[in-house]
Amino acid sequence: METLGDGSGSEGESDKEREEEALEAAALLRDRLRLSVISIASSHAKTLGMTISEPVVACIADLAFKQAEQMGRDVELFAQHAGRKSVNTEDVILSAHRNEHFMGLLRNFAQELKEKEPCMEKKRKKKASKNENKVQEP
Amino acid sequence: MEENFDPDLIHAIFKLVWSRRSKKVEGNEAIDLEQAGPSTSKKSRATTANASALKVSCELLRLFVAEAIHRAALIAEAEGIDTIEPTHLERVLPQLLLDF
Repeated sequence: METLGDGSGSEGESDKEREEEALEAAALLRDRLRLSVISIASSHAKTLGMTISEPVVACIADLAFKQAEQMGRDVELFAQHAGRKSVNTEDVILSAHRNEHFMGLLRNFAQELKEKEPCMEKKRKKKASKNENKVQEP
Repeated sequence: MEENFDPDLIHAIFKLVWSRRSKKVEGNEAIDLEQAGPSTSKKSRATTANASALKVSCELLRLFVAEAIHRAALIAEAEGIDTIEPTHLERVLPQLLLDF
C-alpha cells in the first residue's frame, strides 16, 4: 500500500543515503589531501630549516580542503559566466585575483605549461611562416 | 624539485563540489518546473575542467600551503623558536585567508 506519506518517506531515505555517500566521499578526499599536505608541508619546513607541529599541519590540511572546495565553486561560476561548461586556466588564474603577486605567479606557471605542451606542430608552422616573412622582407 | 598535489585528487574535489551544486539547482528547478514538464538533465549542466586548469589549480593550492608555512615560520623565527606552533599559524591566518 502506497500513501503520500510513504512516498515522501522513501524519497527522504534515498536523499539521506546520498548525503551519507557524499559525506563519505568528502571524508576520503579530505584524507587523501591531508597526506599530500603533510608531504608538501614537511619538505617546505625542511628547506626552511624548521619543524612543524602536528596540529599546524592538520589545520593547514583542513584549510586546503576548504580552499579547494571554494576554488571549485569560484571557477565553475567564472566558466558559466563566460558561457562555458568547461573550466580553463584563465578561470583558475582569476580565482586568485585577491592577491596580484600570486596571480602573476600563476600566470607565469600557466605560460610555462603552455610552452612545455607538445604543440610542436603549431610552433613549427608558426616558425615556418615567420621565416617566410623574414625571407620576403629584404 | 618541489612536490605538488595530484591533479586527479583536485579534480575529484571539484567534481564533488560541482555535483553538490547541480543537485541544489536540480532541486530548485524541480520546484519551479513542476508543471512545465521534465527539467533539463544534469548532464547538460555538468561542469568539466581541462588538464592545464587542473595543474594550475594544484599550483595554487601548493602556493597556499607554502605561503601558510612561510608566514608562520617567519613568526616562529622572530620568536627564536625552530618549531612552527599553532599560535604562529593563528597570527598569520587572517591575512592569509584574505589573500586567497
